[in-house]
Amino acid sequence: MYSTELVVQTFISGILIGVLYALMALGITFIYSIMRMINWAMGEFYMIGSYLQYMLVAWLLGPDLWWLAILVSTAGVFVLGLFTEWSLLKPIFSKPPEIRSDYATVITLALLLMLRSLATGIAGPNQFTPGSNLPIVMVGPMPLAGARVAAFVFALVALGVFWAVLRYTWYGLALRATSQSRVGVQTAGIDVLRVDRVAFGIGVALAGLAGALLAPVFLVFPTNGLVTTVKGFEIVVIGGLGSIPGALIAGVALGLVESFGAAFVDSAYQNIYGFALVLLILVLRPNGLFGERGREA
Amino acid sequence: MSASFRRSAAAIALAAVLLALVPLVTGSFVVHVLTIALYYVILAASWNLLAGYTGQFSLAHHAFAAIGAYTSGLMGYHLGVSPWIGIPCGVVLSAICGLILGRLVLKMRAIYLAIATWAFAETFHIYLTADYKFTRGELGLSVKSLYGTTNPVPYYYTFIVLAVLVLLGLRLLIDSPIGYFMRAIKDDELRAKSLGIDTTRVKIAVFAISSAIAGLAGGFYGHYVVLLSPQMIDFSEMAKIVVMVVIGGFGTFLGPIVGAAPVQVVMTYLQSYGEWNLAVFALIVIVLMRFSMEGLASLFTPLWKRVWHLK
Repeated sequence: MYSTELVVQTFISGILIGVLYALMALGITFIYSIMRMINWAMGEFYMIGSYLQYMLVAWLLGPDLWWLAILVSTAGVFVLGLFTEWSLLKPIFSKPPEIRSDYATVITLALLLMLRSLATGIAGPNQFTPGSNLPIVMVGPMPLAGARVAAFVFALVALGVFWAVLRYTWYGLALRATSQSRVGVQTAGIDVLRVDRVAFGIGVALAGLAGALLAPVFLVFPTNGLVTTVKGFEIVVIGGLGSIPGALIAGVALGLVESFGAAFVDSAYQNIYGFALVLLILVLRPNGLFGERGREA
Repeated sequence: MSASFRRSAAAIALAAVLLALVPLVTGSFVVHVLTIALYYVILAASWNLLAGYTGQFSLAHHAFAAIGAYTSGLMGYHLGVSPWIGIPCGVVLSAICGLILGRLVLKMRAIYLAIATWAFAETFHIYLTADYKFTRGELGLSVKSLYGTTNPVPYYYTFIVLAVLVLLGLRLLIDSPIGYFMRAIKDDELRAKSLGIDTTRVKIAVFAISSAIAGLAGGFYGHYVVLLSPQMIDFSEMAKIVVMVVIGGFGTFLGPIVGAAPVQVVMTYLQSYGEWNLAVFALIVIVLMRFSMEGLASLFTPLWKRVWHLK
């Protein structure tokens, strides 16, 4: 049972899924580091991304243009994020600072309920799956589902683009500066509210991208964002809020723990191994592996 | 007994008497709705103790209610134990789990605490669904009713008594030195510690107390609704509790009381919109939050104070 082949296959599938979880965690941690708030409705943006992907593939573009559908769905979620920030979250800064995070929490919780219920109301509780005619990929002797490999590659490219934008563009500089000091960046003449809007858009677009990529693997239904969001938050706790390398490393670690746990212990509890890992890390390091220490939000 | 205790006790007693008269004039549906509303009043008030007063923004409160309900339900289902033994066991188990979780999240900053407690609740949710051989999962765990009847009236009076006891207890706790320690910790934990408050002990104690109260409410709730399902720890339950407290007034004694009942009643009557009910509800919440922030309790307080000072 414990053949090398199985170990290698488990290892690969752990890494494949871990990178996608990391995408989700990155969205959460990115929004937090700029806006100092948690977006609890992250899973619902994931859900919207997967619905968009399904609609585009099934009705408009067909399975051959899946990559175009992914780009369009991600862009759609990005625009929706801009609109959400503008209509609901911007007014946060006209409130006194001590109630800002309460406000953001309640608004995003309400958004979660609303989007989930809208999805059930419009599309019903049915499960959809966009067709995928990607061939099975052989890694050595191991067969891997084409959709999973494609999702992995796409996620890696997206992470690369994200990193490059943050590192090399003017806007990336503005984003990084805002995460360090919101006041300082205003004295440099940067419109913080606009940076917020873009950051929120990018953050939820990462969730939407994960949703679109995982649509053929994990199906499309109103609460499909839940499990991936739990994973995203677990990764954020493990890797530390505000840390981008932390999100990546923790994402892959979580993917590995899960797939090894599922393969060698009991697959029914696949979703619980992550929590065990979270508890272990938290007992040892309360601010996560790479979390900023003791700086109050 | 402080003045604020006497005042709250008088108001709670008055409200309880008025509520006790309701079954005389209305049908059993209204009584049922109010019973569930009282369940949420208890949950919201105990969560407010944890989050509003002590600053531990836990998102696992609904999980403790479910621990209380499932402990008693499973003991009855597998061992045939009476609810009157099962419910206290549920309360104790909730308190123990609260103690452990409270210990684990002790050193975490606000956001980590919220995320970690949320992950705890979701993990418990997943466990209940996955281990269906023991918990019956989505099939639902059928539970004996407390009084052997489905008529809501006796349960209604039980929940009135529970709510009165819990609220009076919370009032006493909030006015005691520990209550001041709690608020001091919320405002500035480091300063509270430097003034000699044992913040560790206070925080863990508050976590255990509020979890025990949730377990108590959950236990009675389980034996009232008779069928338990993992729906009880769906995240929307927690969202509901948060929304109730924040609409009522976060960190105020009156807040959860005036927030929970109207929210639950509104949600019940929105059921007629089917799948859309949560969307309509969320829309109301968003509009309320967007245009007024202080919570319903702030509408009452000035009037309340004015009336009191007239005497």
